[in-house]
Amino acid sequence: MSSTLSTTAPRLARRDAPTQERRPRRRRLGVAAIVAYLVTFVLILPMAWVVLLSFQSNDNILRDPLNFSHLSWANYSTAMSTLNLMTMYKNTLILAIVSVSVGVVISFMAAYALTRMVFRRPGLQKSLRFYFLAGLAIPVYILLFPVYKLNIELGLYGTYAALILPYIATQLPFNVLLFTGFLTDFPGEIEEAAIIDGAGLFTLSWRVVFPLMRPVIATLLILNIIYVWNEFPFAVTLINNPAMTTISLGVSQFQGFWTVDYGAMMASATLVLLPQLALYGIFQRYVVAGMTFGAVKG
Amino acid sequence: MKWLSTRRALALMIAPALAVYSLYFAYPIVYSLYQSFTNAQAFGSTTLVGAKNYTQMVHDTLFWGSLRNTGIILLVALVILLPGAFFLAHLLSGHVRGGGALRAMIFAPNVIAPILIGLIWVFILDPHIGLVNSLLRTLGVAHPPVWIGGTSLSPWSIGVVYTWQTVGFIMTIFYAGIRMLPHDVMEAASLDGATGWQRLRYVTVPMLQETFGITTVLVVTGVFKIFELVFQLTGGGPVHLSETLVSYTYWMTFSNQKYGYGMALAVVISLLGVVVTVAQMAFMRRRRAS
Repeated sequence: MSSTLSTTAPRLARRDAPTQERRPRRRRLGVAAIVAYLVTFVLILPMAWVVLLSFQSNDNILRDPLNFSHLSWANYSTAMSTLNLMTMYKNTLILAIVSVSVGVVISFMAAYALTRMVFRRPGLQKSLRFYFLAGLAIPVYILLFPVYKLNIELGLYGTYAALILPYIATQLPFNVLLFTGFLTDFPGEIEEAAIIDGAGLFTLSWRVVFPLMRPVIATLLILNIIYVWNEFPFAVTLINNPAMTTISLGVSQFQGFWTVDYGAMMASATLVLLPQLALYGIFQRYVVAGMTFGAVKG
Repeated sequence: MKWLSTRRALALMIAPALAVYSLYFAYPIVYSLYQSFTNAQAFGSTTLVGAKNYTQMVHDTLFWGSLRNTGIILLVALVILLPGAFFLAHLLSGHVRGGGALRAMIFAPNVIAPILIGLIWVFILDPHIGLVNSLLRTLGVAHPPVWIGGTSLSPWSIGVVYTWQTVGFIMTIFYAGIRMLPHDVMEAASLDGATGWQRLRYVTVPMLQETFGITTVLVVTGVFKIFELVFQLTGGGPVHLSETLVSYTYWMTFSNQKYGYGMALAVVISLLGVVVTVAQMAFMRRRRAS
């Protein structure tokens, strides 16, 4: 079984362990494996339970949820015909694509200027860098009310821009941090060669350096998309139009929407949960590496 | 490079990020700070009231209650989440068949929307229809505990749900730390006759000191940001008994519409966040230096 996490150090060979050690160690590891399987089973149980309930009739969920003799797809047809799941997915996708692509590009531009370009006053460069990175320490909750007021003032309340702008802003500090980290160590020879070949600033930053940032960009895309996909505090504060409901906001309304139709509620939850788990399954390596990036690489 | 860095080029490169960030991040903070010194609310005129909102907090039992609940969640996280994640990482760092798949599954809750996690756990913890109490009743417990929505257990339950949500993330950090330990040290300890427990106690744990530091900081910052779980599991109720700092601030601002006082609460939360993040950066810097 090969290691699935790319963040981890290469597997260490155990071949040269002393022979007399081998027997008790193997027995202990057997116990370890059983405990690991049990713990994992308990940990995935809550998700499995939701999927299981989605096939139960409402009566069963209320009276005898542990009786699995009458499973059916009925809840799914209720959920699909009543809930506007496609709208939720569409809205979330629009917000994610626009805010993440714009956010990554403008943070790269700023980070490029703050690391590679020459300021006449180096002090200004330093304070700008601090200004951007200071945002890392601030929890978003202090922004909710002012952003709500600001959107009303600017006439953006009720539009996608009302969410896209704060999404870009809240992701900027981390994006700039990651880009500046990589750009600081970027070899100057590549830039010099390009400049000698007559490259202007646009060609240099966008055609030469940006493509070489691929690992950083991949990490940022994953982190930013997950953030926007799951974001709730801004969505619940800034969306007043049901046609603009995002996935997270939609899920928060399930309990009010379905009230006591728990079966349909579980089917709806499953229709949100499974695609997300499937995507995670496909990109698992990169997701885990991206999310633990700052914490495991010193 | 220097001759490409004209003032105009520099401005063009920085302007978009600077504009969005200043308008939607920096300005809102200044606005909140200002509002926190006013009596702003939904109706009536707004005047400066000095530090009144902050002194009011001292006598606000709901504020202390939400601080206490946040503390309980933190306690659960430090007592169950951290040791549990380390224990799992230790288990999985041995030869476990399918260990990679197990790690992937344990990590999965970290990518699910927190709001969905809250909903999932309603169906586990709800006193009437939840899985836990269904099982307990099947086992003959006549009056199983009210895990959520009662008067006492909610913050403890939210702590457990938070543990479930985050354990894979913290475990991954420990796992990477354990895998990067120099193998020869373990080997030497084994040759000296150290048992598995002794190796864990006297070699692994001391050598992972910094990893423990980082994970502790991550857990503390994470707990202070919990919002969706409260929103779904209890809505802060009954009568604000299960409110956390963030959910109480949200309620004060958007439901109770006391903007001035709400912003003062938000400022306090942010200050806590800043303190912890500065500690985190100090950790990271020390780690990088070593």
